[in-house]
Amino acid sequence: MAETLSFEEFCRDVFDPKKIFSKPEPLKGTRFLSCTQYILGPSCANYLAELGAEVIKIELPRRGEPMRHTTPFNEPKLYPLSKQMPELGTGLGFYGANHNEYFLSVDFHKPEGQAIVKMLASKCDGVVENYRAGTFDRWGIGYRQLSQINPRIIYQWLGGFGGWGPGRKRASYDILGQAQGGCFSVTGWPLDKGGLPAKQTIWIMDYWGGMMGAFQILACMYWRDNVSGLGNFMEYSQVQGAQRHLSDCIALYGRYGLVPQRWGNYDTLLSVHGIIKCGKSSYPDSKNPQELEEGYILVSAYSDADFGKLMRLIKRDDLAKKYATHDQRVKAESQYELYPAIEAWAKDKTKEQARDILNKEGINNQPVWNSKEVSNQEHFHLRGELEWLDDPTFGEVQSQGPAFHLSETPPRHKWALKPVGADNEYILGKLCGFSKTKIAELEADAII
Amino acid sequence: MGKNYPVLDWPAVPTPSPEEVYKGESDKAKEYALWLEENLRQSKNFEKPEALGNIRVLDCSNTMIIGHWCSSLFAELGAEVIMVEPPGGDPLRKLTPFGRKEYMFKDSESGEEVGARFLAEARSKQAITLDLTKPEGREILKKLAAHADVIIENAPPGQWDEWGIGYRQLSQINPRLVYCWVGQLGQWGPLKDKPGNLDPTAQAACGFVHGTGAPVAFGGTPTRSGWWMCDQVGGTGAAIGIMTALNYRDKVSGRGQFVEATGAAGVIRILDYNWGWYGIDGSIRPRYGNWDLAICIYAVNPCKDGQIMVGGGHDRLWFRIWRTAGKDRPEVEQHIIEDPNLKEVTGRLPHYRQVETYTTLCEWMKDNTRSEAETKLQAEEVASGGVSFLDEVSEFPHYKYRGHLEIIDDVFYGKVLIGASAFLGQRTPGRVKWIGRPTGHDNEEVYRGLLGFTKAGLDALKQKGVV
Repeated sequence: MAETLSFEEFCRDVFDPKKIFSKPEPLKGTRFLSCTQYILGPSCANYLAELGAEVIKIELPRRGEPMRHTTPFNEPKLYPLSKQMPELGTGLGFYGANHNEYFLSVDFHKPEGQAIVKMLASKCDGVVENYRAGTFDRWGIGYRQLSQINPRIIYQWLGGFGGWGPGRKRASYDILGQAQGGCFSVTGWPLDKGGLPAKQTIWIMDYWGGMMGAFQILACMYWRDNVSGLGNFMEYSQVQGAQRHLSDCIALYGRYGLVPQRWGNYDTLLSVHGIIKCGKSSYPDSKNPQELEEGYILVSAYSDADFGKLMRLIKRDDLAKKYATHDQRVKAESQYELYPAIEAWAKDKTKEQARDILNKEGINNQPVWNSKEVSNQEHFHLRGELEWLDDPTFGEVQSQGPAFHLSETPPRHKWALKPVGADNEYILGKLCGFSKTKIAELEADAII
Repeated sequence: MGKNYPVLDWPAVPTPSPEEVYKGESDKAKEYALWLEENLRQSKNFEKPEALGNIRVLDCSNTMIIGHWCSSLFAELGAEVIMVEPPGGDPLRKLTPFGRKEYMFKDSESGEEVGARFLAEARSKQAITLDLTKPEGREILKKLAAHADVIIENAPPGQWDEWGIGYRQLSQINPRLVYCWVGQLGQWGPLKDKPGNLDPTAQAACGFVHGTGAPVAFGGTPTRSGWWMCDQVGGTGAAIGIMTALNYRDKVSGRGQFVEATGAAGVIRILDYNWGWYGIDGSIRPRYGNWDLAICIYAVNPCKDGQIMVGGGHDRLWFRIWRTAGKDRPEVEQHIIEDPNLKEVTGRLPHYRQVETYTTLCEWMKDNTRSEAETKLQAEEVASGGVSFLDEVSEFPHYKYRGHLEIIDDVFYGKVLIGASAFLGQRTPGRVKWIGRPTGHDNEEVYRGLLGFTKAGLDALKQKGVV
C-alpha cells in the first residue's frame, strides 16, 4: 500500500502524531534515576523519558528543585507546587525539561534518603546526576558505590566545568557556559553596528548539553547490551560543549591566530543569506508593543542565479554586476553594501508582503516569527512539534513536541509535569515495597 | 592594520601541570578529582574500546552542517562514518569566512583547500564521491546501503524517493537500515523545505531569532545565533533518534526505521517555556538582551574591560553577591539589602526590579575588570565569568588542562587545533582520530574493499563522472 501513496502522503502517514500512541515505545523496560536540578541534568533525563524510559525524578521534599521557582517576570505558574504547599505553584522555568517523569521527593542529605536511592539504583539502567562533582560520592551514592550494587549502571554526570582540573570548584550555569565558553563572542551585532556580544535566548548550553548527554547514554547502552554487559561513567562539561560547538573558530585561531567576531544577522560564509528589517509592522493595531515593531525576514539568495533574481527584483542591476561571483559578494564590505540595499527595498513592506513577493520570484526567505506566530503555524502542529497536551494534572497546556520523528517507535509526551513528590506512593511501593504507613511517616519526617 | 604579527604555537602559555593544579590540597580533598582524572583523561582514550565500533554510517548530506554534525557524534564514539559527496566535493568544503582563501586548510598532497567550517565536522570520517543525479550513481548507492546501518541525507523533500533510493526503496534492500532525513523545517507539511534552505531558516521560523538580542527600548533587534545553531541542535536530535532506532533494532525488532529531524523541531523542543506561556495567557516571549526573564541575578552586564556573567538565583548566592560588592562599595550592598521589595526570590523577577538590581550591580562592576570581579565573586563561590573571546577561550588554563581543545597532527592538513570530543567516559570515551580527508580520498578503499569493484571498473566510473 505504501507504494501507492505519494511521498508526502507516505510521510504524513508514517510520522502522523495521531498514531503515536498505537506504536511501541523504544526504551520501554528501561529505568533511570534523575537526581538533577536546573536544566542541564533534568533535560538529559527528560529526553530518555520521551522515548519511554521510566524516569524517576528525585527532588528535595516540599519545595522541590530550584527551577520550579523560576518563571518569566514571576507571572505564569502551575498549581499546586506540592501536597504540602498548595498555595505555591511551579514556575514555567521548570516546563520543558521534565515531561513524562515520575516525581519522587527524597532528601539526599539524610541516611534514610540515601538508602532509598541505593534501593532504586539496584533496579535501574542508569543515573543522571548534576550536583557538584563529588557530592554524591561523599554521600555514598555516587558511581563508585552504585556500580558496586549494580555493575550494569550507566552513570551520566553533567555539570559546568567538570570535576577535575584547575577550575573544578567553580559553579556554572547555562549563561556562564555561553559567556566563558565563547558563544557570546560570536553572536550579536559588531560594535560599529551598535552591538555587544549577545546570549542565545534559550538556555542552550543546558538544553543542548542535555541532548549530548542523552546521546552518550544511548550509545553506552548500545555497548552494554550488545557488546560488553558493562556499565559506564561519563562526565559532560557544559563549557566544553561550547568549545565543541565552536570547533571551526578554534581551528582558525590555532592555525592563523584569528579571533572570530560577531557578524550580526548576516552570515560569514554565505551571501546573500541574512536577516533584514522590513519597514512596516504586520500588526499596526495591536495592543502588544512587541507586535508594533517592524518585521524582519531572512533573505537567502547565495547562488548566482538567485542573487541575480534578487538584485533585479530590488532594481539594483548595478550590484548584480558588481558582485557577480559569490567570492565577491561574501566579502565583509560587500555585505555592508548589499543588505542595506535590500532593506531599502523592504522599507515600505511588512514581512508578509516581502515574503509573498520573494516567493513569487522563487527566492528563499523566512519571516522572523515570534512565539505567537510560531504557535499558530499549522505546520508545527500537524507534525506534532507543537501540541495541545491534555495534561492529567493541569489540563490543556501548549507544549513542545520531541526534537525528532521516528516512524516505528516515536517519542511522545504523556504529561508535562507533576507536583513535587506526586509519585512517592507509586514508586516507593513498587520498587521499595514501602507500606502506606511507612510512606506517611517518611513524609512527616521530611525524608521524602 | 597591515602589520603581520607572528602566529604563536598553541598553547602560547604552557598548560598547568597536575602538581600545580592540586598544589597544597590534602589527599582527601583531591582524591575524587584524581579518581576522575585517572578514569577520564583523554590521553588514555586510545587504550579503551569504542561504543559504536560495529556501526557503519553513510553521511550523504551536503551543503549544510546538520547532517555532518550528526555523523560527527557517531564518528567520535567509534562508528565508521563514510561521507558520500558529489564529485568535486561537498560545496561546503569551499566556504571560508568572507571568502578569505588565505584562511583555508590545504591538503599537502593534492593542494586542495578546505574551509574551517567543513573541516571541523569531517573528523574521523572517510570521504568518497558519488553522483546521485546519474542513474548509475544511484545503483551504486543501493549497493552501499546494503552494507550500512545508518544513512543520513538532506536532499530536497522527496528527491531520493523519486530517484528510487528513498526510505521506501532502501528499506526493501536492507530492512535493518536506519534512514534519517535532516533539514530545516521538514520534508512534509505546508512549510516543507525548498531546495537551498539553510540555517538560519529554522532559527527565524522557530521563534529563536525573535527572542535573541536586546529589546527595542535598549537599542536591540532580533538577532540570529552567530553560528548555524539550529543545525547543531537539530543534528544532535537526529543523532538521538538514530541511536534510539539502533538500540531498538538490535534489542527488539531486528528492523530499522525512518527518522526525520529538523533544525526547527530541535530548537522548538528546547525553547523552554515559550509555548506553555503563550498557551496560558497569550504572552509572546520578548527579547531580554543578556538578562533572563525567569531568574535574577542571572545575567551578563558590562564591567570595566568588557562584560561579565554573574549568577545567583537563590538567596544564598544573592546575599553573597551583594556582600562581595559591599566590600568595595558599602552603599551598593546597603541599597539592595534595605529594599523590602527584593527580599523574596520571586519578588526580584518583575522587569523594574531587574532594572534596579542590575543598575545597582553595575555601579560596582564598572570599576572592576572581568578578572577582578571574577576573582572577588569566586572567592564567595558565586558563579561568574567574563565574556571570553576565542583567543582567551583557546588559552584558558582549565580548558587546556582538561583537553577541551586538542591538536590533531593530520597526515593531510598538518597541525589543526580543534574542539575535542565532548564525550568523556570511563570505558568508551569519544575521540578524534584524524581531522578529515580530501575529496574522494577513500574511493579506492570503499568501492574496491566494500563493493568489490575492479580497478578497471572504478576507473571507468571515474571517466564517466559517476564517482
